[in-house]
Amino acid sequence: MTPPLVSLRFIFHMGFLYVWRSWRSTLVLAAMVFTAVAALVFLSALAVGTNDAMIRNSVGLFSGHITGDNIPAADVPHISNIKGVKYVLPRWQRPAWLKNRENKNYVILMGIRPDLEKKAAALWKKTVDGRFPEAEEASIYLSEFESRRLNVKVGDTVHIRFDDGSPEIELKACGTYRTGISFLDQGIAFCPADVFPSAGGTMSVAVFLEEGIDAEKFMKKNAHLASGMNLKTWSQFMPDLKQLIDLNHVSMGIVMILVFCIVSMGISCAFIIFIVKNMREHGIMKAMGIAPYESALLILTQVMLLTGFASLSGTMTGALAVAGFGRVGIDLTSFTSYNPYFVVSGIIYPRLTFYSVVLPSFLAILFGCLGALWPMVYVIRSRAADVLRSI
Amino acid sequence: MIQVSGIFKMFRSGRGKVFALKEISFSVEKGSSLILAGKSGSGKTTLLNCIGGLEKPEKGNVICAGEQIHSLSGKALSRFQRRRIGFVFQSGNLLSYLNVMENIEFPMALNEIKGKRRHGRVSELLDAVGLAGAGSAMPFELSAGETQRVAFARAIAHSPSILLADEPTANLDSENGRQLINLMFSLSRESGCTMVVATHDAEIIHPAPHKLFLKDGQIEDAI
Repeated sequence: MTPPLVSLRFIFHMGFLYVWRSWRSTLVLAAMVFTAVAALVFLSALAVGTNDAMIRNSVGLFSGHITGDNIPAADVPHISNIKGVKYVLPRWQRPAWLKNRENKNYVILMGIRPDLEKKAAALWKKTVDGRFPEAEEASIYLSEFESRRLNVKVGDTVHIRFDDGSPEIELKACGTYRTGISFLDQGIAFCPADVFPSAGGTMSVAVFLEEGIDAEKFMKKNAHLASGMNLKTWSQFMPDLKQLIDLNHVSMGIVMILVFCIVSMGISCAFIIFIVKNMREHGIMKAMGIAPYESALLILTQVMLLTGFASLSGTMTGALAVAGFGRVGIDLTSFTSYNPYFVVSGIIYPRLTFYSVVLPSFLAILFGCLGALWPMVYVIRSRAADVLRSI
Repeated sequence: MIQVSGIFKMFRSGRGKVFALKEISFSVEKGSSLILAGKSGSGKTTLLNCIGGLEKPEKGNVICAGEQIHSLSGKALSRFQRRRIGFVFQSGNLLSYLNVMENIEFPMALNEIKGKRRHGRVSELLDAVGLAGAGSAMPFELSAGETQRVAFARAIAHSPSILLADEPTANLDSENGRQLINLMFSLSRESGCTMVVATHDAEIIHPAPHKLFLKDGQIEDAI
């Protein structure tokens, strides 16, 4: 094999001088790549943040990241001790008749630990009248819908009767709430666990994980610890949310591809112009003895240097913007106030992922190189005189 | 040194097939100079391009410094061009993103002439073409005459055995043109390189000892 004619260092040096000294073209083209990459990094982080917000809202309101039914009371400490678990909220439930004068309704009565619920979940924030129950208080917390059906106002006494013949109890309505989510607004009522007539030693639990821990991965990792328990992740008990997030991923993927296509076409075309305007110089260099593949390598180096620098700056700027907005959040409450997936907060915190950092730069460089392909092929295939004549 | 035998060159254009060169044959001795004279469109540039390997003729042979240049592979041709040939273009054709010094260094860098030898040669050439203080100037800062002098310095920087010049004085006034030609002839004589100059400038054609007159792609007269 014959040795290469000139060193890569020489080609890199020439490419750098070209990009550096054609500073006006470089600046315009770099600004285009920079803006596109920065915007796409931020957009993709925003999409991830929107999905995060939906999950955070949906699990944070009441259910937690993982729920379990028929869990023996003795197992709860085990769950609490698993690394990554922030809170475990025990909940007891049994069907009951609620009665106020002539009005009665069949609901699931849920015994809760009010102090823990206020720490971990956000149901108490959805109070529309009165307040959330307090520990050891003989009170009941009703949805606005149920209170209307029973014609109960805050301060009224509600009679609770069970089908199994347990003695009837009386609880005072301490507050009403509205979430906009049907399974929480209809057919359910809450009272402190201390006054809940327990039906046995099993309970349901809501497990809240530490920030940033993926529920599915957590379950897989701790399968041995949770064996025998009927635990489900949010994606299993909220398939609608899972589907919506998957749909978001797909639609955001399509949007990103379309945006990339449009931006990339622009980048490719701009690069063709950038290279072709100086095509004559490649003809001159060929006449002086630069080999065809060296000319192609030089074009590729120029494009890589320019897109590489612009992409890196764009990624850093996009990431900085994400870091800034990720700290304070973007308040979109006015667009989400009627949306059941944003019941707690409409604030979105953009978040970077590996793909949102790498993909925009990668595609900008790829399409920049694709833009350089035609001039490269032209320089390789044409004789010096043809290159000089064609411009 | 240069032997051209029966070359034909044809172009296809909107006007159909155009024969730029028809049955051209001649030779140039090592170290001597030849003027290719003729009107615009007579085929001077095409002939020069064929000699330098920038263009491939449809028929015929060009042997330069013992090499049949149109039989060489792309890489071998590039190697030959960078080592053996210096080219002065009509409008200078300096690389716009390199300064004067870097333009002159370019063929030396291609030939891996490095360090003090390269810098010394650049200074020597800048002195010789009267541009000693202009090493850092960019091509757009030069006048037409200065550009051509730098182009000439670049063409001979790596001491080629063949120098090809295409209308080197076309964009210059007569005074600048005369200066450049005198410089070209004296420096190439000193370095012993074979020179072929394409021109229609009478001031260059008249005093030259060896001339080839072209008309419509054919040799009209040879002196």
